[in-house]
Amino acid sequence: MEAILKETLTEKSKRVLGVSPQDSQLTLSYISVAFIALFLGGVLGLLQGLERAGLLQLPPWLNYYQVLTAHGILLVIVLTAFFTIGYMYAGLSHTLGGLLPKVRKLAWIGFGLMMVGIAFVVTTVLMNDASVLYTFYPPMAASPYFYIGLVFIMLGVWLCCFGAFINYAAWKKNNIKQVTPLLAFFAMGVFVLWFFGSLGVTIEVITLIPWAFGWTETVNVMLSRTLFWSFGHTLVNIWYLTAISAWYIAVPKVIGGRLFSDTLTRLVVILLVITNIPGGFHHQIVDPGMSQGLKFLHVFMSLSIAFPSLMTAFAMFAVFERTGRKLGGRGLLGWFRKLPWGDVRFLAPMIAMIAFIPAGAGGIVNTSNQLNQVVHNTLWVTGHFHLTVGTSVILTFFGISYWLVPFLSGRQLTAKMNKLGVIQTIIWTAGMAVMAGAMHIVGLMGAPRRTSYTTYGEHEIALSWIPYEFLLGIGGTLLIIGVVLQVYAVFHLMFRAPEGKTEFPIAAPEDDALPTPYWLENWKLWIVLMLAVVVIGYAIPLVDLIVHAPPGSPPFRIW
Amino acid sequence: MKAMHDGKPTEDLEIDNKKSLKGTLFSVGVVGAVIIGMWAGVFWLYMARL
Repeated sequence: MEAILKETLTEKSKRVLGVSPQDSQLTLSYISVAFIALFLGGVLGLLQGLERAGLLQLPPWLNYYQVLTAHGILLVIVLTAFFTIGYMYAGLSHTLGGLLPKVRKLAWIGFGLMMVGIAFVVTTVLMNDASVLYTFYPPMAASPYFYIGLVFIMLGVWLCCFGAFINYAAWKKNNIKQVTPLLAFFAMGVFVLWFFGSLGVTIEVITLIPWAFGWTETVNVMLSRTLFWSFGHTLVNIWYLTAISAWYIAVPKVIGGRLFSDTLTRLVVILLVITNIPGGFHHQIVDPGMSQGLKFLHVFMSLSIAFPSLMTAFAMFAVFERTGRKLGGRGLLGWFRKLPWGDVRFLAPMIAMIAFIPAGAGGIVNTSNQLNQVVHNTLWVTGHFHLTVGTSVILTFFGISYWLVPFLSGRQLTAKMNKLGVIQTIIWTAGMAVMAGAMHIVGLMGAPRRTSYTTYGEHEIALSWIPYEFLLGIGGTLLIIGVVLQVYAVFHLMFRAPEGKTEFPIAAPEDDALPTPYWLENWKLWIVLMLAVVVIGYAIPLVDLIVHAPPGSPPFRIW
Repeated sequence: MKAMHDGKPTEDLEIDNKKSLKGTLFSVGVVGAVIIGMWAGVFWLYMARL
């Protein structure tokens, strides 16, 4: 009787609070690390932008490539990994009735392992022993402790994946033949991609450790690059899947609308999971040693990722139009004006979605074989991922933070803080538009990426890049203002905002929505299909790269 | 007697307006145009540099 009463009280408190205090603490810890990484990575990004524009000379103890490596790792790995895990764990906790104690423990151990890994990675970069950039391709060799740090980070992520799988399976066991809550379904997709997408890079890193220690003389560079990109592009879509979970589920609720279609949304998640991993091959489209037929196959496989994105574009426009018309919008685009543009919880993800239109179009350019030759390794690519990750994904994360952080900390988003959020969003958008826009244009003019300031002996072509590089510095300056405002907003909402209740926005389906078919829950089938697509994409090139391995390379330290 | 507009009851027109997705069709068309425009622009550069 006492046990039943206790259980009932626990359930009631979860319903009232939405998520248990222990689960809140977990997510807030992950989010704190993410936004500290944003601050540090943002400062380094500014230094890098000003140096590249020729407006600043870094001191001798801090070189451009060191800064570039730290900027990439802090923002591309630390910020995004900690945010996706923290947010998705809050989603699991909120929608599945709390995290199991063992799952919470796994997530805390994962947190610890990732922090140890970050300590290894950051220390080696600070000591200038690992200026190998975020992609850490061989034959450039970092300190072996850099790679050991990366292994710790991946182990931490895997523990979080296992925790999510356990919680999901436990809910399924207690809710037989029921469709899981949509946000938990997204979380499952995100963690499936985290786990399977990171297997290749973990194998790569494990082969690099003995090579960096000098225990093996050479490493297969092509194999390493291939294993890296099986992860590198999947990571992009892990962020994307996380971001669109908020587009589909939270944004409609914020604007007073309904979920477009639960079935379509789950289909998008499944397609993104199945098609994703071989998509990374388009990063190697100009690499030697691979047949034209294979490259054509990979162009097709990469482009297939665009289909679920186009479905998302349709679904989101439909949500906005239906809601805008309910609010009195008329004519072809009158509904657009009826949307709540003054609400940062809508504005930030909405700009993120708009930015995804040119960002996605740029991705299709990058994926196309001939077109890739125009933009390959130019600043166009840097501009592209500042639009995708730096705008579409990060602005969505910012938008999420304005309701998730006060929800977890038991505080409220005040009108004043909402105004600050709107200003922050505008500054961020302006900074990214100037910087990413200039990068795209100057990239088409041939300016290379991953290069510190140079005029190539006053060559006229290089001199023509300079005005755009100034714009890059101006954009970077606006962005650091955005970083400071955002970090302030997050920690204010965590510790200083007025106490009160904040909603975890989850949109309800339309009244006349059809029930979601149960077969969509068949994760075993989706994982088998995903692995089949991986085999189609990777079996031939991997066997070829191992059986007909090119001469291996010794480690090089070029900085 | 129902109020009429263009031969249709205004209530029906209101329902039509709420269910209409013509703006979505237009917006998706804009997305398609951006994709095609960007692709064609870079392809033109590729051809020009051959």
